Amino acid sequence: METVLIFVETKGEEIKKASQEVLSEGTRLAETGRFAVEAAVLGPVSPNLENAIALYADRVVHIVDPLLDSYTPEGYAMALADYARIASPKMILAGATQTARDFLPRVAVLLECGIASDVTAARWLDEPITVVRPVYGGKVLTEVSCDGSPFIVLTRPNTFDITPPVRQAGEVMERPASLTPGSVKTRLLKKEEKPRGKVDLTEADAIVSGGRGLKAAENFAILEELAGVIGGAVGATRSVVDAKWRVQEDQVGKSGRTVSPKLYIAAGISGAIHHIMGMDTSKTVLAINKDPNAIIFNYATYGIVGDLFEIIPAMTAELKKRLGTSEEASGGS
Amino acid sequence: MNIVVLAKQVPDPEALIEIKRTGEGLEMEQKFTTSLFDEFALEEALRIKERLGGAVKVITLGTGRAVEVLRTGIAMGVDEVLLLEHQAFLDGDGYATALALSRAIARGPWDIVLCGKQAVDDDRGEVGPMVAQLLGVPHVGSIVKLDIADGKAVAESLVDDGRVVVEVPLPAVLTAHKGLNEPRVPLVTGVMKAMRAQIPRATPEDLGLAANQIGLAGSRVRIKRYVAPKKRSQVQFIDGDAQAAAAEAVRILMDVERVI
Repeated sequence: METVLIFVETKGEEIKKASQEVLSEGTRLAETGRFAVEAAVLGPVSPNLENAIALYADRVVHIVDPLLDSYTPEGYAMALADYARIASPKMILAGATQTARDFLPRVAVLLECGIASDVTAARWLDEPITVVRPVYGGKVLTEVSCDGSPFIVLTRPNTFDITPPVRQAGEVMERPASLTPGSVKTRLLKKEEKPRGKVDLTEADAIVSGGRGLKAAENFAILEELAGVIGGAVGATRSVVDAKWRVQEDQVGKSGRTVSPKLYIAAGISGAIHHIMGMDTSKTVLAINKDPNAIIFNYATYGIVGDLFEIIPAMTAELKKRLGTSEEASGGS
Repeated sequence: MNIVVLAKQVPDPEALIEIKRTGEGLEMEQKFTTSLFDEFALEEALRIKERLGGAVKVITLGTGRAVEVLRTGIAMGVDEVLLLEHQAFLDGDGYATALALSRAIARGPWDIVLCGKQAVDDDRGEVGPMVAQLLGVPHVGSIVKLDIADGKAVAESLVDDGRVVVEVPLPAVLTAHKGLNEPRVPLVTGVMKAMRAQIPRATPEDLGLAANQIGLAGSRVRIKRYVAPKKRSQVQFIDGDAQAAAAEAVRILMDVERVI
């Protein structure tokens, strides 16, 4: 049987959504009877979390080392590559988060193996394994395959369905990384995390994005409210970020983030190609724009021609009614 | 301070790209530009040099139009350029490309390598971290702020759930994100100089590389074919006044698409 090694990321006491997806896909691979699934988790992780990961894998390898207490590309790359040399997996899988895309290229160098970053579909059972990667901002897709193993594949968040684990929990083993002191030269000085409860853009199931049609920074409050009701994140176009209405992290598009949520609501966005490149793999797109000829409608599943300042609050109110959150959200009035 | 910038000429984002009928290649509208993130890398390198002295060298890999990014660099004010020009360098995966570039960097003195966080054609984002690993140095990815002092780089970097400030000793590789700076527009005198400039070239042999280590032959990952992305079907407009359209949209998203 061949081994699939999955790099798992955690946040607090939870498995990150991007990792849950890949673990779910791992479970499906295990069901074919052709693969054993190993999950590698690095740095400080609680026993409860180890056990939660074990529900998805035949084995959880918790790699520990003082040098892994905070993320560094060098430390993570060495630790994961060292373990991969022992496990000799056929493939190493991870969600294409910023972290994974940051350090796994280094792992590919250490293992002298192939890597495909930001994959949107995979045929694991093909020989050789074939995966699909968008290039030129998604204008074209490439089918790529890899000579030799392991093949490192990073899949874009929201590519696979998350399914609750139904298998017997695998074993958990701790393994020291034994990194040489001085081998990690990167030092973390400060970490500014997003406020609690904020959903990360790339992992979000729903995104409400605003463009210049929002007219002013403070008007994004109506998008925040809609996003809050559906548990989504707020995105923005380049011009809005350049006007400093929103921070760089919120930018969706060629020079910002590439997102692929189940629902993408584009409000007051004209649909410049730079923006489309960042959201075109979203499942359902609802565009709201005053201009019936706005390009965004060419890339939308549904469109509403009208004033977003009327439509967005009306949608929020309707959703509150249907989701039963009206009391909480009315702020005691 | 010796700064090397890795930069790439890419098809303009507006350029039309069509897949050849057999799927084995692409037809490209001949509109090219500097890869967006590489412009930030070029600008930052020049700013470091203006502050601390030293020299900036731009390296690129490719044939034909590839050289244009070097002329852009010269026009902006860099001191030196190098073109890795040979058929054998072409069509490599991230690894094969990073190998050639890292050898080219190692030929001269360098303290800092700056490059874009990804080239906006292949969209891999692999070369920066790979070059760092091949050179045995740390890297900081997707930076939006950079301070160089006392042989160290302190960089602010965009990560999944926020921002981090990271310190690395030099030499190091840094990959640029939008937000790092506003790239300058070259002066006419710079453009004139760039047009006249002789472009130094290096072959695989010059870098001590065999043909099977680089380009397509040296790649572990290969493109088997190109396919067109699935087109979304025609947009369905939701009519009615704001209230009615909003209610209908919510109904569709919850009951039909089930995405809420």
